[in-house]
Amino acid sequence: MVGQTEKPPDPRWAWAAYEPDADRPWNLAQAGHLYRRAAFGANWEQLQQALSDGPQRTIDKLLRPQAETAQFNRTYDEYEAATGSVDQLRAWWLRRMIQTPHPLQEKMTLFWHSHFATNAAAVKNARLMQQHVGLLRGQALGSFRILLKGILQDPAVLLWLGAEANRKASPNENLARTIMETFTLGPDHCTENDIRNAARAFTGWFVLRSKLRYISREHDNGEKQILGRSGNFARDDVTRIILEQPATSRRLVQRLYRWLISETAGPDEALILPLAESFATDYDVLKLVETMLRSNLFFSPAAYRRRIKSPAEFALGIVKALEGTVSTTQLANDLADLGQNLYNPPTVKGWAGGQHWINSTAILARQNLASALLRGSGPYGDKLNPWGIAQKHGCATPESAQSFLLDLFLQGSFGPDVNDALLKTRGRQDDDGGGRTRSLAHAIVTLAEFHLA
Amino acid sequence: MSYTRRDFLKATLGASTMLSLASGAPNILVRAASAGAARRDDRDTVLVVVQLSGGNDGLNTVVPYADDEYARNRPTLRLQPKDVHKIDSYLGFHPRMEAFSRLYKEGHLSILHGVSYPNSDRDHDGAMRDWHTAEPEDPNCQTGWLGRAADSVWHTNRKDTPAVFVGPIVQPFGLRAEHVIVPSIQSPDDLTLDSTLGESQPSERFRADKDNPLLNHLRDCTANARANSRRIKAIAKAGASTAEYPAFRLAGTLRTVAQLIRADVGIRIFFTELGGGGIGGFDNHANQLGNHCSLLGHLSESLAAFVYDLEKDKLLDRVLLMTISEFGRTVKENGRRGTGHGVSAPIFLAGGKLKGGRTGSHPSLTDLDNGALKFHTDFRRIYATVLDRWLGFKSRPVLGRQFEPIDVLNV
Repeated sequence: MVGQTEKPPDPRWAWAAYEPDADRPWNLAQAGHLYRRAAFGANWEQLQQALSDGPQRTIDKLLRPQAETAQFNRTYDEYEAATGSVDQLRAWWLRRMIQTPHPLQEKMTLFWHSHFATNAAAVKNARLMQQHVGLLRGQALGSFRILLKGILQDPAVLLWLGAEANRKASPNENLARTIMETFTLGPDHCTENDIRNAARAFTGWFVLRSKLRYISREHDNGEKQILGRSGNFARDDVTRIILEQPATSRRLVQRLYRWLISETAGPDEALILPLAESFATDYDVLKLVETMLRSNLFFSPAAYRRRIKSPAEFALGIVKALEGTVSTTQLANDLADLGQNLYNPPTVKGWAGGQHWINSTAILARQNLASALLRGSGPYGDKLNPWGIAQKHGCATPESAQSFLLDLFLQGSFGPDVNDALLKTRGRQDDDGGGRTRSLAHAIVTLAEFHLA
Repeated sequence: MSYTRRDFLKATLGASTMLSLASGAPNILVRAASAGAARRDDRDTVLVVVQLSGGNDGLNTVVPYADDEYARNRPTLRLQPKDVHKIDSYLGFHPRMEAFSRLYKEGHLSILHGVSYPNSDRDHDGAMRDWHTAEPEDPNCQTGWLGRAADSVWHTNRKDTPAVFVGPIVQPFGLRAEHVIVPSIQSPDDLTLDSTLGESQPSERFRADKDNPLLNHLRDCTANARANSRRIKAIAKAGASTAEYPAFRLAGTLRTVAQLIRADVGIRIFFTELGGGGIGGFDNHANQLGNHCSLLGHLSESLAAFVYDLEKDKLLDRVLLMTISEFGRTVKENGRRGTGHGVSAPIFLAGGKLKGGRTGSHPSLTDLDNGALKFHTDFRRIYATVLDRWLGFKSRPVLGRQFEPIDVLNV
């Protein structure tokens, strides 16, 4: 992975499917990379299975798992429906991320949650927030066309944008502006006039007693000009017109590039264009995600560790690797302290992510969260046991556990002096391996590399 | 590190601690720490905001004791001329604010009269939101003014946290940022490393991938986090018992702020709160006298302890504290020995670089806005003052337009 210089890659090579060869072998590092991006990390069995399955079969399983995802989601939907608070919804979602047979679906739900960022504190209705995230999950790998239509009909979104009353006499420009500038085209691809006219097309829609209602006498039936088209447009015409604009598919592909490939530099326009053109034909999210995950670019140094984990990815990476389940009520609070309060993205633009996740205080809080997860006592109890996991997978001594944990969490690529440095890690040395291994695991997950996805 | 800071750390920690800080840390820490200092903001000034939740009754805080209208409108709530701490022949501090009176005489406290904003909201949530967003005309504003201030000084290599909230309530909206993460803490411990599982000391030698900018940023922040944590622990050890603070929650909060200022970890904005958040303790529609008196006692004594603590360590010149509250209260008391939601109230500034005294006239008690004192000074002028002249941030992008600063600072 190391040493190749970064120059703008040829788009045809970049998006062609990766085939392992002598120069770019399929190995533990690639498998770990795939599981960090397409899931929330992997456990040892998943990594080993991926090694024997090879990249294509592993990606098949991540995209279209054989397990009963629908049944799993129905069960969790029922759990969620029985809760009355957003705090509990946060906890159930984190539990889904840990337990789901289809982690890519949750990963993409999180992507859409930051894209169509809707804040529960402003909506003030847990049931509507559950429906909102349910909508995102339902189309997480489905159709962006259906998703966008759903967003425009979602009471939570309308309440959040202060658009619960779209009257003919006072069209709500905030809704139209957010849809066009933030959720689709981007600020440079529509005018104030487009926004005003789209707002007129949205008139007639209300949220009354938490339900979407259409009042036809409040709809403006006049002629509207939107993005160079004119007609007596209504809501669904606006989504159609927006989706016809190349700017929409381009922007979505750029955002997904940042989510799945790299945060370091804005991608070359030439790299985005072929995917955007293809995406615009059907707005099939699964197909787009599939192209990115299978690509040469995805398995190249341009993508490897070129993303900073969000707080959820950081914490769940520890939990998944150690095959445990921790209190997600506590975890939701701790993630909020790290800047990722699920169901409460800071603004309509979602979480800025990338280097914004990280400053000295955030790093310190992440280290302390890792300590709380791994120390075997306190709010998270002893649900995670690195020594137990190391033994389960064949380690007899703390020394062998150390290289096992390095492979498990970071998939190697370090010289022998990493081992030396880690061995000097202070910690409880007086037991049969449990306490020492906890210290080692903590030392590993607090390395800068572990914060990278 | 500026001269004063180094000077101060030496004085507090002693040369040996300084030495051990330097020698105990791996080279990478020392290098990263000095690189950080070089990249720091030009100034090292600190702003501390104290939010008085609920709407503070300005009239019974800075009392126009000699005004007949005051006596007439406040039959049961009026404070007696003999009890107030006189500022002049017209005004005096509430009887429980002896500490404020002292700070005022020493020039460490300024009063800004008649502060509010046009068409001010008289609903708690709406008014507080306006003070937090500083965008009263935009009901959809999604960020707070201090959140935007924090965003405005962010850059990709920035390691320090520009702003924190200190307190047990939900973080006030004023700190809501689009990009920067603003942490909520309750004590300095929340900013120190938990060493239950040991503190690993990774060396730089074995690291591949040196051209990854994300990795470099992470390493810098990790080194900085360790250095900050050590400093905070060292400060806690060295000086915890010397300063005297009363046993109020706000005093504990301000003690935490003082510790973090002393530890010099790069935080420029601290937000604190008195009254409990929400419709807070200052909202006294009935039986106001005792409750208000107690809160003003907390405010005045906690703040004085903070000022003297900083002054003792020669840090006061770096610190400016300001109070905010969503509105003042009605001039006339209601039939339940309380007051209703009003408009203007005074704002207090405390610190070592104040011009001192009072700014602006006390609003008239007869020329009223629907029963409340009119305002003459927009609060955003004070925000502009602290952003432009104190923190050295640019206020125009934060506040949307240029508000005229007020000449209250000696800088």
